[in-house]
Amino acid sequence: MTIATQRFDDNPCRPRHFKPPPCVAVIPDGPAKQALETCRTRLLVTGGLFALVFAVVALRVIEIVAVGGGTAESQIARFRMVTAPLPSHADIVDRNGNVLAASLDSPSLYANPKQILDPPEAASKLVSVLPTLAAAEVYAKLTSGKSFVWIWRHLTPAEQYSVNQLGIPGLEFEHEERRVYPDGDLTSHVVGYTGIDNAGFAGIERGLDGVLRGRREPLQLSLDLRLQYILREELQRVIDDFTAKGGAGLIMDVNTGEILAMASLPDFDPNRPTAPDPEHPAVPLADRMFNRVTLGVYELGSIFKIFTVAMALDCGTATVTSTYDASHPIRIGRFTISDYHGKHRVLSVPEILMYSSNIGAARMAVAAGAQTQRDFLARLGLLKTPKIEISEVGAPHYPAKWREVNVMTIAFGHGISVTPLSFATAAAALVNGGILRQATLLKIPDGYEPPGQRVISAKTSEQMRRLMRLVVEHGTGTMAAAPGYVVGGKTGTADKISGRHYAERKLLSSFVGVFPINDPKYLVLTMVDEPHPNKQSHGYATAGWTVAPATSRIIERIAPLLGVQPVDESSPEVQRALMVESLQGKRIEAY
Amino acid sequence: MIKLSSLFWLVLVSMTSFAMFAVKYGVQSLEGELNRVKKATISEEHAIRADEAEWAYLTRPETLDEMNRRHMSLGAIATKQLRTSIIDIPLRAPAPIVVDAPVGAVTEQPPESAALTVPTSTITPASPEKPAEVMEPIKPAPAKTLAKPAPSRRPRSLDELIAQVAASR
Repeated sequence: MTIATQRFDDNPCRPRHFKPPPCVAVIPDGPAKQALETCRTRLLVTGGLFALVFAVVALRVIEIVAVGGGTAESQIARFRMVTAPLPSHADIVDRNGNVLAASLDSPSLYANPKQILDPPEAASKLVSVLPTLAAAEVYAKLTSGKSFVWIWRHLTPAEQYSVNQLGIPGLEFEHEERRVYPDGDLTSHVVGYTGIDNAGFAGIERGLDGVLRGRREPLQLSLDLRLQYILREELQRVIDDFTAKGGAGLIMDVNTGEILAMASLPDFDPNRPTAPDPEHPAVPLADRMFNRVTLGVYELGSIFKIFTVAMALDCGTATVTSTYDASHPIRIGRFTISDYHGKHRVLSVPEILMYSSNIGAARMAVAAGAQTQRDFLARLGLLKTPKIEISEVGAPHYPAKWREVNVMTIAFGHGISVTPLSFATAAAALVNGGILRQATLLKIPDGYEPPGQRVISAKTSEQMRRLMRLVVEHGTGTMAAAPGYVVGGKTGTADKISGRHYAERKLLSSFVGVFPINDPKYLVLTMVDEPHPNKQSHGYATAGWTVAPATSRIIERIAPLLGVQPVDESSPEVQRALMVESLQGKRIEAY
Repeated sequence: MIKLSSLFWLVLVSMTSFAMFAVKYGVQSLEGELNRVKKATISEEHAIRADEAEWAYLTRPETLDEMNRRHMSLGAIATKQLRTSIIDIPLRAPAPIVVDAPVGAVTEQPPESAALTVPTSTITPASPEKPAEVMEPIKPAPAKTLAKPAPSRRPRSLDELIAQVAASR
């Protein structure tokens, strides 16, 4: 083109306005021809590429429509795809799958006061459908000038419908989750409760808050709801019968450490934790929220003697045939140690446990020594804070300096305060063959035996089983017997501390029972706080009259549920497994 | 030739464009449908969770106990009610067998195979003073564990007791 233009431009006779027509054949040659060829080639390549890409697109469309059948997914974020939200907290279920705590969708009402046209009217209408609201408070919120204020959290579907019916602009709903506890106060101290933002405040909800958050599968506890109901009902019956201040109890699998039931009374409704109890309006809230099993530390009294006897047998300072002089009280310092069921004679080791001799236990502990006693209790985990999945745990109280008087009083359960949970864990180790396993509220898979630590020999454990059976057969715990289930155990009645002295009329009665004691499977610990005598108990409020019968009833009710088969207690096999020989080769009944 | 190729490309472009838009709107429609289904599923899941919680509330032990007291009055299982092994279950008592019944006294001869099931009311005794004898049902053999051993001397030691048990076997 440049060449042709130059040719006409070079003609001096060319009219000024004359320009060659576009159809004028231009015959390039030389460099122009080469340039044209280059352009053509590029054009062809470009066109070919476009055709190729277009063909690929066309083939892909044909494949999607005709071949793929619509399996291709859109890569364009045109729609915000709906995804199922994870519950903020996983459900909690018992060992049989019964729901103990669940998160349910619950709308909460909030307002944008800047969009509220008539705050007085809006406040009035809201109070008419939500009577629990205070009109002045709602009006203050609606005139606050903010752009977001909560009006009411966690409405019911009916309340949400009523608010929608009002048609007030500026009111909106935020969908939240609300924690509900279908069983109410039955499992309150174990499951605990959450605050309005679903933050765990007590129990498993607090102790395992991190585990529950963002978990889809429900958390399975070791609790059995049926056993929990039976335990709580029987404890409540004891409290009512003896007009007691409170009670506590637990059922434990002695071979795994699983807690099958745990109750502390009085308790609370986790759905409305701060609401007063309609049945016991006078009971203060702090008392109802207090977990007596894991947080309360008590001088448990004579049930501690099983540790004294086990210590003496295991360290070799006593045998089953050893005897101790219990004919006279022991006077040490300002204390006098005497027996409640005094025999005023020399007692053998089985008799000391059977008749719950404080004097005998004290002498037995002194013979073993302070360091031995302290080491033994530490080995059983009684001198440290118990570990469990809930955060309400109490540290034990024990003397910093272990003097002789402390050795004596600790021998029969005074001068040392532990939680019932710690006691039950240690007691389970005494009867299960001597292995201490940590108590747990989580279900352990069937067939799995959690690791433990040997604390006494298997022989000592067997001797302890025989001795504990004697207590129920012939000793202070005869009312705990459940025919067919071979119960063994120990009673304990302690005077409570009032100020700096022991109050005689304020008792703490407790009983630890194990069944079947010839092949231990389950432990039942019951405790009642400040029971008062009644006519049926002939003026007694001791453990043998209060919690021992309750333990018997509990075992008779729960044993069929646990699959424990009743046996003939007089059968030679059972008798042989539980026989205790005394010094003279006579059976213990001869005493 | 150029016109043919142009026509071919024009048709191809038209078809492709149509197919592409059809796919696009089809996908959008399906995505909308998927969202609706997902929302419905989530709603159903919430409803199921609420139903499960309600079911747990309605079947809590306290409620069941109250309903039992009101309607059924079932009690706890007593130890004596439990049979722990197969030998504790007594055998079924056999049906009574009629013997020595006078032939003439029978109003109608039952088939031989049904002799054991004939009710005694159909048998008329020969005379009122001598009623037909009816065999007593055979009592089941007492279970092994229920049989109490013969009273023996009270063992004075563990070895003596083991010896007695071994001898009794």
